[in-house]
Amino acid sequence: MDTQTQLDIAKLNDADRKELTQYLANEAQKSNIQQTVHGLADICWKKCITGKISSGRLDHSEEACAQNCVERWMDTNFAVLKHLETLRGQ
Amino acid sequence: MALFGSSSATAEASSPSTSQEIKASLIRQVQEEAAMSNARSLIGKVNEHCFDACVPTPGSSLTAKESTCLSQCMEKYIGFWNASSRAYIARVSKESKSLGGADLSGVSL
Repeated sequence: MDTQTQLDIAKLNDADRKELTQYLANEAQKSNIQQTVHGLADICWKKCITGKISSGRLDHSEEACAQNCVERWMDTNFAVLKHLETLRGQ
Repeated sequence: MALFGSSSATAEASSPSTSQEIKASLIRQVQEEAAMSNARSLIGKVNEHCFDACVPTPGSSLTAKESTCLSQCMEKYIGFWNASSRAYIARVSKESKSLGGADLSGVSL
């Protein structure tokens, strides 16, 4: 990375400090979502792209597979949580 | 997807001193680091999957066919990533709406 200039955070006024806190919270959430998508694309690529790659374009069936894969992964997530809930009640 | 963010070739004219300048500088640094980290994750995955798909038996050098496959695979992976992202975000907003617009940040996925 570039040489980071030393910043004097103490010079921030309250309004800017508040704005930065909000900005960082948003960025953290964005980064979390991106990491989840990296994981999902990884899992779903293995399931959806199995043959030879003959084009750089994502065709319709591949796109549909990606969508189904993500949706079913979410369903699985919820199903696991739901069953865990019933196990806890036993 | 902003892969590498805005390149910061412009050197800082002077070190930031006002609150406004410090804030702007911090935001720029965070943006750069986020873009770099995202790009690093993507490149790692492209490497892994496309090596798998395109170079089944590594020879003494990459063949022309393997190179073509790698370029196509990379483009396809980025398209696939974007499709996954759209599906995920659509589902998450649907779920959050059905929960009465509950805060998403607490839901671990």
